[in-house]
Amino acid sequence: MLVGAWWLRPAFLPGPVEVLQAYPKLFSMGLVAQLYISLSTNLEAILISCAFTLPLAYLTVLPAMRPLVKILSKTRFLGITGFVVLFTILFGGGHALKLALLVFGMSMFLITSLYDVVETIPREEFDHARTLRIGPWGSVLEVVVLGHLDVFLDTVRQNAAMGWVMLTMVEGLVRFEGGLGAMMLAEDKHIRLDAVFAIQLLVLAIGIVQDWALVWVRHLLCPYAALTLERQ
Amino acid sequence: MTREYKLRDTLIKISNLGLKFGDKAVLAGLDAEVKDIVRPGIITGQVVGILGPSGIGKTQLSRILAGLQEPTSGGITVGVTQKPIEAGLVGFVAQNYPLLRHRTVLSNLELAAHNLHDAKAAAEKSMDYLKLFDLAEKWDQYPAELSGGQRQRVAIAQQLLCSEHYLILDEPTTGLDPIMKDKVVEMIRKVSGLSEENTIFIVTHDIPAVMSVADHLWLLGRVRNEKGESLGAKIVHQYDLIERGIAWEPNPSLLPAFTDLLREIRSKFETLN
Repeated sequence: MLVGAWWLRPAFLPGPVEVLQAYPKLFSMGLVAQLYISLSTNLEAILISCAFTLPLAYLTVLPAMRPLVKILSKTRFLGITGFVVLFTILFGGGHALKLALLVFGMSMFLITSLYDVVETIPREEFDHARTLRIGPWGSVLEVVVLGHLDVFLDTVRQNAAMGWVMLTMVEGLVRFEGGLGAMMLAEDKHIRLDAVFAIQLLVLAIGIVQDWALVWVRHLLCPYAALTLERQ
Repeated sequence: MTREYKLRDTLIKISNLGLKFGDKAVLAGLDAEVKDIVRPGIITGQVVGILGPSGIGKTQLSRILAGLQEPTSGGITVGVTQKPIEAGLVGFVAQNYPLLRHRTVLSNLELAAHNLHDAKAAAEKSMDYLKLFDLAEKWDQYPAELSGGQRQRVAIAQQLLCSEHYLILDEPTTGLDPIMKDKVVEMIRKVSGLSEENTIFIVTHDIPAVMSVADHLWLLGRVRNEKGESLGAKIVHQYDLIERGIAWEPNPSLLPAFTDLLREIRSKFETLN
């Protein structure tokens, strides 16, 4: 239906054939290399964000940690653009700056979602762990970390998808190394919509594969997660 | 069936138990004890039914009995050695039969058994309990794959493996059809008969079901001052079902004494709040 609707597009939009024809030119302009840069930067940012936010979210079982996480969570309303100068001073530009902006943007959303997961775990689950004589940190491991691993992985999956939206924005702000975002902005500037659409389609395809891969990882690590779903 | 019995050691002692949330008194001056019932030639555990209207404080009393909630005053001691209560000494099976969803049935039991046994003994003990509760074939399944009844049995086995002798069942028969209720009652009899020290508290609204398995009933009621203000709940009536000839009977609900007591408790229920 979407392809059919695309065929009946307004005249100023490129059609499927024109978009497909844009790929050879994009390849000759280094699409593969740009794709690699974006993919690796995004992966790096996801991993750093997880390494930073997961322990923080788990630690919110301690009341003392909650105000800090709540404050961090509020910073998601601040635009990344406003941090370019500050982060340039702190990280010195280049790849580090790109990564810092992306990690900051992703982490503030990720910590919010992960904190919500921890906060909504019912008291009964912790009580159950206590009746099994599991200590406080053992309860965090059993109830929060292992008991909700599937929910955490799903949250990471949603935020990793958001990462692609931020990545193209950050690559537009910091042109160092290029990347798909920078490439897309360059094509946008020259109003080459066929090339822009071609890059968008590529991002969409990669996003779907990334989503599928993370669902597969969740299924592999948490086979119990899907057992209660209606579709089972 | 012999009705000869003796009361020996105190297994659970509740002394002047009180609980307040701010100005609101939930429990006030609760006193009760459970003694080891000994019958010649028959292993007999203790089954105590805790009855009371909704909102009277049954859940809070259960949480204190399970060591999950600190009382504001008084305390509870458990076992032949009368240890002060702490979480894990008394098992607690909540209404939704909690289990660790990421662990298989066997793994759930092994985790509980590790508290009292080494790894090898914990595995053996867990398998023994699975067989005892007719769950041996389900050992590698996740809780989500079990029926409600199977889940309840795993939850009971898990708590017994951890606490060994003491168990609180919160509304174990609520929402069940009569056949399933009979099965649960049968299982409670079976569990209580596993060891002399086994003591099961059944917290429920289901008066006939608890009467058909308990040996004692505690009725919680609210105490009020002259102005009608609540001072909290306490045990206002205790019923000895052994003395009334109801406990340990194969079909207690057919006895006239059962019907009489049921009527008596129901009439008292209206005055408890």
